[in-house]
Amino acid sequence: MDRRQFIKISAFTGSSATLASCGNPEYHLIRFVPEDRIVPGTAVWRPSICPLCPAGCGVIARVMDGEVEVLRNGQLGLTRMGLAKKLEGNPDHPINQGKLCTRGQAAAEITYHPDRVGHPLKRAGTRGDGKFEEISWEQALGELVAKLDALAAANDQNKLAILLRPERGLRGELIRQFATRFGAPVPLTYEFFDDDVLRRANALSFGNHQLPTFDLAESRYLLSFGADFLGTWNSPVAQNIGYGEMRQGRPGSRGKFVQVEYRMSQTGANADEWVPVKPGMEGVLALGIAQVIMKSGSRRAGDAGPAGMLIDGWAGGLAEYTAQEVSKRTGVPAARLERLAKEFSEQKPAVAMIAGAAVAQTNGLFNALAVNALNALMGSVGTPGGVFFMQGGAQEDIAGGPRSANATARSLNDRQPLQEELRDAQVLLIDGANPVYAAPRAWKVRETLTQLPYIVSFGNFIDETSALVDLILPDHSFLESWVQSMPESGAKTAIVSMAAPVMQPLHETRATGDVILDVARRLRKPLELPWKTFEEMVKAGPSPAAAKRVPDRAKPQEKAARRPLPGGEARKFAEPQFNGDANEYGFHFLPYPSQALLDGSLAHLPLLQELPDPMSSAVWSSWAEINMQTAERLGIRQGDWLEITSSQGTIRVPAFPSPGIAPDVVAMPTGQGHENFTRYATGRGANPISILAPVVESETGALAWAATRVKITRVADADGTLVLFAGSLRDYPPEHPHR
Amino acid sequence: MTHRWGMAVDLDRCTGCEACVTACRTENNIRIAGPEQSARGRAIAWIRVERYYEGDFPDVRVKFRPVMCQQCDAAPCEPVCPTYASHHTDEGLNAQVYNRCIGTRYCANACPYNVRFFNFGNPVWDRPLELSLNPDVSVREVGVVEKCTFCVQRINAGKEQAKAENRELKDGEIKPACVQSCPTSALVFGDLNDPESEVSRLSRSSRGTKLLEDLGTLPKVTYLQRQS
Repeated sequence: MDRRQFIKISAFTGSSATLASCGNPEYHLIRFVPEDRIVPGTAVWRPSICPLCPAGCGVIARVMDGEVEVLRNGQLGLTRMGLAKKLEGNPDHPINQGKLCTRGQAAAEITYHPDRVGHPLKRAGTRGDGKFEEISWEQALGELVAKLDALAAANDQNKLAILLRPERGLRGELIRQFATRFGAPVPLTYEFFDDDVLRRANALSFGNHQLPTFDLAESRYLLSFGADFLGTWNSPVAQNIGYGEMRQGRPGSRGKFVQVEYRMSQTGANADEWVPVKPGMEGVLALGIAQVIMKSGSRRAGDAGPAGMLIDGWAGGLAEYTAQEVSKRTGVPAARLERLAKEFSEQKPAVAMIAGAAVAQTNGLFNALAVNALNALMGSVGTPGGVFFMQGGAQEDIAGGPRSANATARSLNDRQPLQEELRDAQVLLIDGANPVYAAPRAWKVRETLTQLPYIVSFGNFIDETSALVDLILPDHSFLESWVQSMPESGAKTAIVSMAAPVMQPLHETRATGDVILDVARRLRKPLELPWKTFEEMVKAGPSPAAAKRVPDRAKPQEKAARRPLPGGEARKFAEPQFNGDANEYGFHFLPYPSQALLDGSLAHLPLLQELPDPMSSAVWSSWAEINMQTAERLGIRQGDWLEITSSQGTIRVPAFPSPGIAPDVVAMPTGQGHENFTRYATGRGANPISILAPVVESETGALAWAATRVKITRVADADGTLVLFAGSLRDYPPEHPHR
Repeated sequence: MTHRWGMAVDLDRCTGCEACVTACRTENNIRIAGPEQSARGRAIAWIRVERYYEGDFPDVRVKFRPVMCQQCDAAPCEPVCPTYASHHTDEGLNAQVYNRCIGTRYCANACPYNVRFFNFGNPVWDRPLELSLNPDVSVREVGVVEKCTFCVQRINAGKEQAKAENRELKDGEIKPACVQSCPTSALVFGDLNDPESEVSRLSRSSRGTKLLEDLGTLPKVTYLQRQS
């Protein structure tokens, strides 16, 4: 075949292929001119910020071109655009230093999720039946603006309520400023695993109303009271990096790690010593250790400064907290306690931390104050290998301006339950929070929301809460938006991260920051917000007041000494209280954050549903952990169905007998049991939060989520509902029972 | 000098956080099996974190161990393959050629580490999840066996980059997805033929062991034992 003939043939086959394709409607799609300048086949890396938890890790996204069906101005068509293919940790980010946790690795699925809300939705049926119709942005914004104008006309501005997920960046700041200028109350925040008790304790002990940062790389001894710092708590990637260095980063000097908790977490599994303790007695154990140290004379009571003065009897050397007495109350043998105290005082630098169930008791604040006092006693606050507070990370530092004291969001955990806060609201805006799922049923969130006249959500998925709203104004995914974050912990110096969109939006969504600014302009009496777009706000940086603030280099102890401490009097130990009579409800109930799904906000991502749980290897499932001997005594085997009943209700869930849990405890990961949260999470497993009693921490009023007691009944044999990844490796599937 | 790729896993650093597991899945286009297929033992994970409980309450210990293909020098999976789909490369990798694989699963049976996975059906990504697939890695279809490749696409890209810049590869320049994500730096990858490389240094550690060493498979992954 010569060259000319070849060209003829290929021209012919080319045109016939084109003609043939005309019959296929898919090829009728209009081809939009690409807006993205991207070279086919070449990868570029663009920075962003992981949105999944408040740690604020920097990520880089590998962007390559791809062909995408998109809607542009109501017209469906094809376009080539840059697509984020893979997220990695940003090597230049001071918090995660190029590393990224298992959840962050899965975050791109949010953008490409098949059940994302791609257009503004308006409620079509009655509230709660989940029927919505697509409407245009013009109509949607018009309806919201009309509602807000009506409030303003009736002088009812204070009947606009806003409910947010706690968020420490300019997005939250913008919403707060919107609320303030409109005349609405300060926005509420809600998150199930809130760290408010700990922040309050740190404010009392050290004058810092914020989460701590740990210098683990320099520590030689780490004593953790219930903190899941390697899994889900605070800034896990930064803490994992420090932990690796603590273990093997200094030749010849390996740091020791002791974990105190009553259900072995993934973090606890790494401890050199795992010390089970009775629920709510963590503070007593910390004071027992402090007592032994003070008695030995290596440290004196005065060394703890103001943090010690918050504990009744501290100045007298905690005479009530003898090793024998503490042993009786905590269940930790006296000899072990004395040895731990000796190690803790001799291996310097040594540091203690507390979080999780230890502060989610009715005496949670006391437990946290006790551990703070122990750190202060050892001089571990603000010193290498100890605990730090990130500059500019305190709650009152983020808002800036004259209104700062009032402008911080009120935390709902801190206050009365939701119905009292929202009862009189006429319009409610919800951003990122899902309290219908993630609050105890006893709070009656669903009932309260159902009665509100008008609710708007900015979510990009329909979940239990947004199924109840009147209007959904879907946000871009984080990869499609300007993002900004000011984490409160994870590094010693202040950090502000910001990033431009990584890719073009896939759907007809709009960035919530831009929508807020747009609404502010469209009001009959426009609000004076100084930015046209959220991009402008991000580029302008944090508010001038915050930026100008001189870094406070004073030692935390000095700061604590000079700041007025509200309620700084000494506290007496109070026995933890539990909901449910111990005779009828024989087990402590512990809901704990799932490594993959956290509080349930990530249950819609299939990558995380299929991530084997570190302790059980379970995938796509709910389960209840119960002590192996207890299970044997009650005739419960792996996968058997249990009914778990509290004073508030009953859930059914398969059993997972484990040696790593106290005999009188039943533990369950949060995250499953969604009634309505995309095709991957809906109707799967049970929600432990739903049966929690509305018990609160006695001083702060925060939900004491580890203070509910339950009873269990075995109701049916295992039927394969509990799926274990490891189980499937060595067991035969159920369809081959003969083997 | 040819490379000989290997890995060291410091179990004293590993916390069982499973960052490596998701990093591997997203890098290598590993399918979502879904609940039903997972229940039938058909979930695929090129790297997994195994857990071993020791003792009873209250004296309980758990040890984590990330397990991926051990890239054996005397690999039991290779001689059993009738089509040479499973074969040894010049750089010591146990490679799997999907086009040659006819799905006998002899290799998966022969592997003592349980790291070879058979595709019982075609993978499905609910649209538009497929847009996140990595274009550098082929998607495996029904009837073939798949396994960890030490992210061979990253190895090749790294070598090409070095060649284009007319230089030698630097130690630590190439990182498989699991190594890159590992928050505690428990996973280290590199060239075992370079005695100065980090992975060679760690592989000589007195804490070093091989998984099921007595089988004589000569794995190129070294586990550094936990020190407690």
